[in-house]
Amino acid sequence: MNTALIDSPVANVANIARALRAAGAELDVTRDAGKIANAPKLVLPGVGSFVAAMGWLTDNKIDAAIRDAVNRGASLLGICVGHQLLFEVSHEMGTTPGLGLVQGEVRQFDGVLPVPQIGWNRVSARGPLFEGVENGVFYFVNSYAAWNAPDEIASADYGGPFTAAVQRERVFGVQFHPEKSSAAGLRVLRNYIAWT
Amino acid sequence: MDVIPSIDLLDGKVVRLLHGDFARVTEYGDPETVLDTLDVPRGSRLHVVDLEASRSGRPVETEIVRRLAARDLHIQAGGGVRSLADARTWIEAGAEKVVIGTVAADAPDVLRAIVNELGAGRVIAAIDVRDGIVRVAGWERDATTSLAEVLARVEDLGISEVLITDISKDGALRGPSFALYRSLRTGMRIIASGGVSTVSDVVSLSRIDSVGACVIGRALLDGRIRLAEARARVATPNAIPERVIPCLDVRDGRVVKGVNFVDIRDAGDPVECGIRYEAEGADELVILDISATDANRSTALEVVHRVSESLFIPLTVGGGVRTIEDFRALLRAGADRVAINTAAIRDPQLIADCATEFGVQAVVLSCDAKRTGDHFEAMVRGGRESSGVDAVAWCRRAEELGAGEILLTSVDRDGTNSGYDIGLLRAVTSTVKIGAIASGGAGNVDHFRDAIEAGGARAVLAASLFHDRRLSIGDVKQFLASEGIPVR
Repeated sequence: MNTALIDSPVANVANIARALRAAGAELDVTRDAGKIANAPKLVLPGVGSFVAAMGWLTDNKIDAAIRDAVNRGASLLGICVGHQLLFEVSHEMGTTPGLGLVQGEVRQFDGVLPVPQIGWNRVSARGPLFEGVENGVFYFVNSYAAWNAPDEIASADYGGPFTAAVQRERVFGVQFHPEKSSAAGLRVLRNYIAWT
Repeated sequence: MDVIPSIDLLDGKVVRLLHGDFARVTEYGDPETVLDTLDVPRGSRLHVVDLEASRSGRPVETEIVRRLAARDLHIQAGGGVRSLADARTWIEAGAEKVVIGTVAADAPDVLRAIVNELGAGRVIAAIDVRDGIVRVAGWERDATTSLAEVLARVEDLGISEVLITDISKDGALRGPSFALYRSLRTGMRIIASGGVSTVSDVVSLSRIDSVGACVIGRALLDGRIRLAEARARVATPNAIPERVIPCLDVRDGRVVKGVNFVDIRDAGDPVECGIRYEAEGADELVILDISATDANRSTALEVVHRVSESLFIPLTVGGGVRTIEDFRALLRAGADRVAINTAAIRDPQLIADCATEFGVQAVVLSCDAKRTGDHFEAMVRGGRESSGVDAVAWCRRAEELGAGEILLTSVDRDGTNSGYDIGLLRAVTSTVKIGAIASGGAGNVDHFRDAIEAGGARAVLAASLFHDRRLSIGDVKQFLASEGIPVR
């Protein structure tokens, strides 16, 4: 079964593609809204600005294609800013609606520790995505995150607990970079690829 | 671990004495104003030292303690408690605990009388130590008993908290005496005092089993430590692991290693090295391109590309980056972060431009520093030429411009295996908020611990030690974990 990796220009697509292939995925790297709407399995990457990443999705009608796919029963994995795009709203540079596929809002860290968070951090996780790496250490680069998301399946601590991953039915999101998290990151990707 | 703010009082004001010298006073203002400035929350413990009392031998600033206790602060007061009457005076003024120094060392009968009347739970024994010798009474004479004897005597009385200050370090911002605290054998809870000057010092103390609290004075007053940040870091001491980073110096497509930046020898294929290091547990890989000519720069890009293709950990690349286009080319080739050195000293704006274009997380300042008299100088051209720029000031400037981390190499120690330059590390890590990667001099596992614990480094880097397989990354991580330092 092919996995559609959404070829966003606001993302590190090449690194994610390499990691997904190493995790056993057969990939279709695409910007085609029709292909995305009909894909059985999707990965939504993203780095940098939420506003720019969301803007590209809406300008190219990829947002509607993703919602169509999920409504048809496709599974979806958002990574880093791709994970943040799943939420209802982000407060990065004003207030911007997200895809609304999981509940909650994305906000900046409260400034107790330096931002951005750059580095490894230990998560406390449960569920099929984290099988075998429930207390894994993953690589984060972020200034924004969700807190106590209703669909939280993993939390980490950076001057207080934040949501490190979410799952709502077939929609998953991880705030960290699995493609930079060595064996633990590849395990998460393998779990996603194998999950049905 | 509790983080306890500390204020010294003299003539109704918060002050600090340099090296305990009453002739060298820095004044900070009224206690209430100072505590508001420091954001000391209600319910916090507060350590109060009455300096006049420690000099004259009778409690003086009781009215201030009364006022502060009314602000819902849990006060431990001390300074010159010589008698049961003195101790009672502090408790009656509203202190929750009384800190007792001189008599703990010199007069066990008085200490016993205080414990009997007030209860052991309201007594903190305070011991000043210099070079392992107990010192008391305003630091002006040696006590007659050894540290071990004093500790045993205090513990026998049922006292559970002992404040230990290494006065050879206190106030001079040279760092706590980690080795002393590690060496102490006692069932009591140690309150560490003296030399705490960075959040990293607080975190390092929290990793030592016997240390249950630390008091911070001057570093809070000087703004080097924010109380909320220090408390947040020690609340989750194991969340953020420290990083071990192997470095590949690459020339003409091969890994090489020199001693003191010269005498280069071949050390293998970069892709093979990268794969081996990730498998051993490397948290990141650094590639420094030391190619001599522009013609070989394209070779370096190809090496970066090939290594990044076989790696699933962050990759930082440096060497010969002169323009924003060089920076972009390395990111495109597969680097996650790029280190800038010589070019940034010549044109500091390059740091700001790259941070704006690619984000602060992508920008690493590579600083090669050399000891010159009592300071450090930033070196350029692979550590061969002096720049005339002070290394510590330069790191601070780079932080302001947008560097996300500093790769700090001691040119003096590089390739010598004689240990990281802890003085250099402390000079930088007590000046900047961004992380520093310690580089240059690693020779054994203790060196890695010292760079993190005493140097305040957020990552430790080594090259030849790993290339020559004298230590594996796993050996280093296992040792760090055994010393209470979290690793991945």
